[in-house]
Amino acid sequence: MPSSEESSLSGGRGQVETEVPRSWIITRLDFLVNWARRNSLWPMPFGTACCAIEMMGSAASKYDIARFGMERMSFSPRQADCMIVAGRVAYKMAPVMRRVWDQMTQPKWCISMGACASTGGVFDTYTMVQGIDTIVPVDVYVPGCPPRPEGLIYALMMIQEKIKGESIADPRSREEDPEGAGQPQLSPEEVELIAGPFGNSTFQNRVSGLDSSSPLIRPGDRKEQRHK
Amino acid sequence: MTGTTTPSTPAQVRQVPAPRPDVEEMRSRIGVAVRGVEYDAAGDPILYVDPERNVEVLAHLKGSEGGSYDLLRDITGLDLGGGHPIYVVYDLWSTAEGRPLRVKAQLRADRPRLASACDLWRAANWLEREVYDMFGVTFQGHPDLRRILMPENYEEGYPLQKDFPLRGRFTRAEQTRRAMSMALDDVYSMEELVTAGSGGEDGLPELARRQMAQTPGVTARAAPSELAGAGAGRDDDIETRNMLINIGPQHPATHGVLRLVCELDGERIVGCTPHIGYLHSGFEKLSEYRTWNQVITLTDRMDYLAPMMFNVGYALAVEKLLDVEITPRCKVIRVICCELNRILSHLLWLGTTAIDIGAFTPFLYTYQERERIYNLHEAYTGARMTTSVTRIGGMMADVPPGWLDGVREFVETFPRTLAEVDALLTRNSIWIGRTQGIGVIGAEEAINYGLCGPNLRASGVPHDVRRDRPYLDYETYDFDVPIGELGDTYDRYLVRMEEMRQSIRILEQALERVPDGPINVADSRVILPPKSETMNSIDGMIAHFKLVMEGLKVPAGEVWYSIESSKGELGFYIVADGGPKPVRCRYRTPSFMNMAVLPRLVEGELLADMIAVNASIDIVLGEIDR
Ligand code: SF4
Repeated sequence: MPSSEESSLSGGRGQVETEVPRSWIITRLDFLVNWARRNSLWPMPFGTACCAIEMMGSAASKYDIARFGMERMSFSPRQADCMIVAGRVAYKMAPVMRRVWDQMTQPKWCISMGACASTGGVFDTYTMVQGIDTIVPVDVYVPGCPPRPEGLIYALMMIQEKIKGESIADPRSREEDPEGAGQPQLSPEEVELIAGPFGNSTFQNRVSGLDSSSPLIRPGDRKEQRHK
Repeated sequence: MTGTTTPSTPAQVRQVPAPRPDVEEMRSRIGVAVRGVEYDAAGDPILYVDPERNVEVLAHLKGSEGGSYDLLRDITGLDLGGGHPIYVVYDLWSTAEGRPLRVKAQLRADRPRLASACDLWRAANWLEREVYDMFGVTFQGHPDLRRILMPENYEEGYPLQKDFPLRGRFTRAEQTRRAMSMALDDVYSMEELVTAGSGGEDGLPELARRQMAQTPGVTARAAPSELAGAGAGRDDDIETRNMLINIGPQHPATHGVLRLVCELDGERIVGCTPHIGYLHSGFEKLSEYRTWNQVITLTDRMDYLAPMMFNVGYALAVEKLLDVEITPRCKVIRVICCELNRILSHLLWLGTTAIDIGAFTPFLYTYQERERIYNLHEAYTGARMTTSVTRIGGMMADVPPGWLDGVREFVETFPRTLAEVDALLTRNSIWIGRTQGIGVIGAEEAINYGLCGPNLRASGVPHDVRRDRPYLDYETYDFDVPIGELGDTYDRYLVRMEEMRQSIRILEQALERVPDGPINVADSRVILPPKSETMNSIDGMIAHFKLVMEGLKVPAGEVWYSIESSKGELGFYIVADGGPKPVRCRYRTPSFMNMAVLPRLVEGELLADMIAVNASIDIVLGEIDR
């Protein structure tokens, strides 16, 4: 660290200035680290479906996320900082996603892009993970189906905001639990809680307005039910 | 096989009073194996065959002189639930005569079994695997009957059977637990593990060894040094063995979540197995739980590269079932939507393929143009990609003022960009070196594999649904169907480039002729009456009330309707029972058919060429996996 005497010499005496030609600044280490981290976030594009096309759109000529220091799409998880899960994730894909996340080195962040990644979206079906936060931790959720590129860029900026508040003196947020590798993020009870059916359409049957999900009930059965 | 001899689906099929002579003649030729003939909503014949003799009938249909049904378009299942039998439905097309034929076999619901048609068509391989995966129908004689979309260790049942609940049989927590505890042999097939452990059993993981011990007839391949003749002609001191590499499902060059397991001899590909289903979302099941118009929002999430085409195709199929004739203005607007989307999709293909082969610049060019089409989408529908632009009987709305001028401006300026990309690539020696003579497939084989769209045409088969079975009045437009000669990667590139130019031609003509008049049909069965009528007349009010409360009702029947999407023939097999929701929505997606040919195309090629070939068949995983 430069001494306080030196730093006060910046004005007036030209001799010192030539000796130390502005090659140093004083800053907090946290600020410096965070500044570096947040302006070179390398995304790990985990694109699966429609949202991935918008993610590509964000990287292409018009939206150009390179303006925010994210131009290097890192297809290798080991060199990536921020996983962008864009699109729906099937159960068959879930272990792959977890593996990619485990392979990323700390510090790392995760964006869940789109309704499907965040909640399962319209696909409350037998194959779909109902929200990737059951499998990996998520920092920012981007709503939309698909979110516009501006939405994704905003999410990346929110991650940048988040990084600003971090401190390297506090290792808690960056701790890795080797036991957790390959395991779902949430406990079975929590998964049940957040992945349970909600909303109108999940109760729909082949005949509108029924609250059973058995598809065998036909219009005739409906009348019977009412008479009961 | 016991069962009724009179075929009758509960989803009753309309009878065409006069039986078609050619069908009757065919029926008498085949004899007793055909149990009945019906006609669907589009007037296409359906043969009901004896399930014991399905292959015999299919072989006859394929081989018959003159009117040979040589192209297998689809195999799918149909379960009506409630103890009714399961059907397996084959859809055939005659390239010479240009007409379709459907063959149905009725199976017992408790133990559905059928002989495999793999010997007749290579295309049957994946299609039958899908029927097995979704309906539990066992195909005897199938070379590789495994699940295809669901994971290998899936134990909840067969999702498309009617009594299978939409959200699966297990709880979400259990489904998550099972997904996360998949073992190695759930992810690799037996043969792959055998190759991986080709140093003998020691190279194999524990689980695989155990399973191998239980599987009769499978043993670990001996280390190559023990094989006589292996390494002959090479340096005998060097022990070589084939290597297994896994590409995907998370890999930038697979265009989505496709997983390819390749067996390599040095740089050469000895065998390649695509594993799909990593994006299986249950579209077909979900469609059975949504009303007819709600399904439209699902269709554009299948092929997100050309969403409007899916919207249009689905709407056309349902309109066929309803027997609704859409307005002239709607027809032209739909053509404009379709052709814009053909360009949209081909542009993405062009940009990403160029990246795969090593040219980054075209990607930026093409995305620039895609953004302009997205802007048109947005101006019309409010969404950039998930457009949901059609409704049964019309469009979501008439086009906004000035929109057609926007299209016109695009049509005028786009050819310039296309010419620039063309100048960058078509005569570029690197491009030619990477694409010419790579991944070649001839016409006859392409038909056998069920290839479709630009891939089929690149092999020299001039099959284009817009020509052979026109919809939306395509026969009145003047356009060429480009075909290739060799069927290599370069031909597939040229065909798509030319298709974009032809799309521009169609767009020019369509813009010329957009007629005035209403965009939606004036049919209160399908389209809400105008507000003024709802408010002021009792008829209008009743119509409005019925449509809102009961929903659109489609009369019982079925139809197999196809359009030419950007990737190939996109078929909709839709069965209705008169209710407000479909009984079965089968999406026969072109990429699924095209994908199955990849192992054949890349065999013996270099690994690097596989990336180029895979890119050139233009797949979109959302559509393959559904
Ligand atoms: S959120 Fe919408 S756009 Fe994104 S993957 Fe899901 S369906 Fe597709």
